[in-house]
Amino acid sequence: MAFKNIGDYIIKAVKVNKTFPNGVQALVDFDNQVHRGEVVVIIGPSGSGKSTFLRCLNGLEEIDSGSIVIDGIPLDNKKKNLINIRKEVGMVFQSFNLFPHMTVLDNLNLAQLRVRKKSKGEATDTSMNLLEKVGISDKAKAYPIQLSGGQQQRVAIARALAMRPKVMLFDEATSALDPEMVGEVLDVMKNLAREGTTMVCVSHEMGFAREVSDRVIFMDAGAIVESGTADHFFDSPKEERTKLFLSQIL
Amino acid sequence: MHSNSAKSNFWHKFYCSSFFDISLFITLVLILVGFFFQGSQNLGYEWQWEQIPSFIFSYEDGNLVLGPLMQGLGVTLKISAISLVFAFILGLGTALLRLSNSFVGQALSLFYLETIRNTPLIIQIFFIYFVVGPVVGLGRFPSAILALSLFEGAYASEIFRAGIVSITRGQWEGAHSLGLTTFDTYRYVILPQAIRRILPPLTSQIISLIKDSALVSTIAIYDLTMQAQSLISETFLTFELWFTVAVIYLMVTVTLSLLVGYLEVRFQIND
Repeated sequence: MAFKNIGDYIIKAVKVNKTFPNGVQALVDFDNQVHRGEVVVIIGPSGSGKSTFLRCLNGLEEIDSGSIVIDGIPLDNKKKNLINIRKEVGMVFQSFNLFPHMTVLDNLNLAQLRVRKKSKGEATDTSMNLLEKVGISDKAKAYPIQLSGGQQQRVAIARALAMRPKVMLFDEATSALDPEMVGEVLDVMKNLAREGTTMVCVSHEMGFAREVSDRVIFMDAGAIVESGTADHFFDSPKEERTKLFLSQIL
Repeated sequence: MHSNSAKSNFWHKFYCSSFFDISLFITLVLILVGFFFQGSQNLGYEWQWEQIPSFIFSYEDGNLVLGPLMQGLGVTLKISAISLVFAFILGLGTALLRLSNSFVGQALSLFYLETIRNTPLIIQIFFIYFVVGPVVGLGRFPSAILALSLFEGAYASEIFRAGIVSITRGQWEGAHSLGLTTFDTYRYVILPQAIRRILPPLTSQIISLIKDSALVSTIAIYDLTMQAQSLISETFLTFELWFTVAVIYLMVTVTLSLLVGYLEVRFQIND
C-alpha cells in the first residue's frame, strides 16, 4: 500500500516520559508523529508501553515530561485543554466500557448532549445513523448486557464516533472478544480506515495491519524499536527483537 | 434392613418439610408467650388493652380525632423525613469530598466522620441542644434535626463511598474519553449505578434513622416515644403502651423495607 502522506501532523508526541508509581518505566523519551488521515498500528509485547502511549494521548494517564500536542491543542494541566482534546479524540477500549444502566441509544447520546450540547433530536439522528453504519440499529433500545461482545464493541465504536472525533484510538479493541466476533469488529474498523479516519490502534491483528495500515510501529520497553509499512514487517523486519516477536504472534 | 432405611427416609423427609419448620416455630412462640403471660400474672399486672384505641384515634362529636400516639408518630415521621434529606446530602457531600483530590476536603470529611461515628448520638443531641443551641439560637426541633442529620449522614457517607468506589475504573475512563466532566460523570454514569448497588444498606440506614429519632424524646420533643412516656406517667399502662409503640415503629419500618424491596426489583440492573 502506498504511504498516504496526506495532511499535517495531527498528533505530535515529543520526548514523552512516563513512569508508573510502582517504578515501571512505560515510556522512555518517546517520539511519535501521526499525520491527519493516517492509520497507525502499534504492536509489541505486553508491558512495552503501547497502551500507555494511547492512554496518554487523551489524558487518561498523565505524562511525567515531554509534550503531546493534538490538533494544535497542547495536553497540559489546563482542564479546558484536556476536555477539548477528549472531545476530538475518540477511544475504544478492550473491555468496551459501555454504561450498563443506559440503553445503547442513551450510551451514544450522552456525550453529544452533555459535551457537544446538541439537542436530543439532533443527537438521536446522529446516533441512529452511526448504529446503522456499524450494523446494529435494531438494538438501539437494548441494554449493553443483552448484546454479544462483538455487538457491544461495535456500540462502543459508534459511541466514540458520535462525538465526531478527529482521531480514533483503539486499545486492543478485539482482544476480549470470542474469535468468531473479531471479524465483525475488524470490518467496522477497516471501513473507518478506508474512509480516511485518523486511527491509532494497539492491535495484534496482523491481517488488519496489512490491509489498512499506513504504518506499523513495534514497541518494546517504552520505545520504538522499528517502524515501517506492514509489508516491511512481514517481508523484511530488520531488528532481531522484531523478528522474535513476529515469529511468536504470526 | 430394607424397612429400616425406608423408615429413616420418612423421618428425614419429615425433618426437612416446611410443615415441621412451621410447627416448630409456632411451638416456640407459644412457649414464649406463655412464659410472658405467666410472668405478668405473677406480677399481678392488670391488662387494660381497651384503653389503647383511644390513644390512637378517637371520635369527638362525630369527627375522627388523632390520639396522642398518632400525633407523636407524625412528629417522628416529620423529624425523620427532614433529617433523612439532610443526612443524604451530607453523606453524599462527605463521600465526594473524601474521594476528591483536595487534601483539605479529605481531612475535613475524615474529621467529621470520625468524631460523629465515635461518639454516642445521645451525647450529640445534648451537646447540640444544650451547648450549640443557646449559642447560635437553635430551638428544640432544629437541634434534633441537626443532630440526627449529622449522625446518620456520617454513616450514609461511608455507604455512598463504598458504592462509588465499587464502580469499575473503566466506567470513569469511558466517560472521560468522551469528554464528560467529573461532575457529569458522577451525575450520569457513576451515581446512578452506585445508588442501585447501595439501596439495601441505605435502607438499613433509613430504618436506623427512624429508630434513632426516638432519642429526641430526651430533649422533650413530643415524638412517638415521648408521647408514650407521658401517657404511661398518666395511666400506668406500661406494658400495653410500649407494646403498641413498638408495633407502630415496626409497621413504619416494615412498610419502608417492602417499598425499597419493590424499588430494588424495579431498578434491577444487569452488570
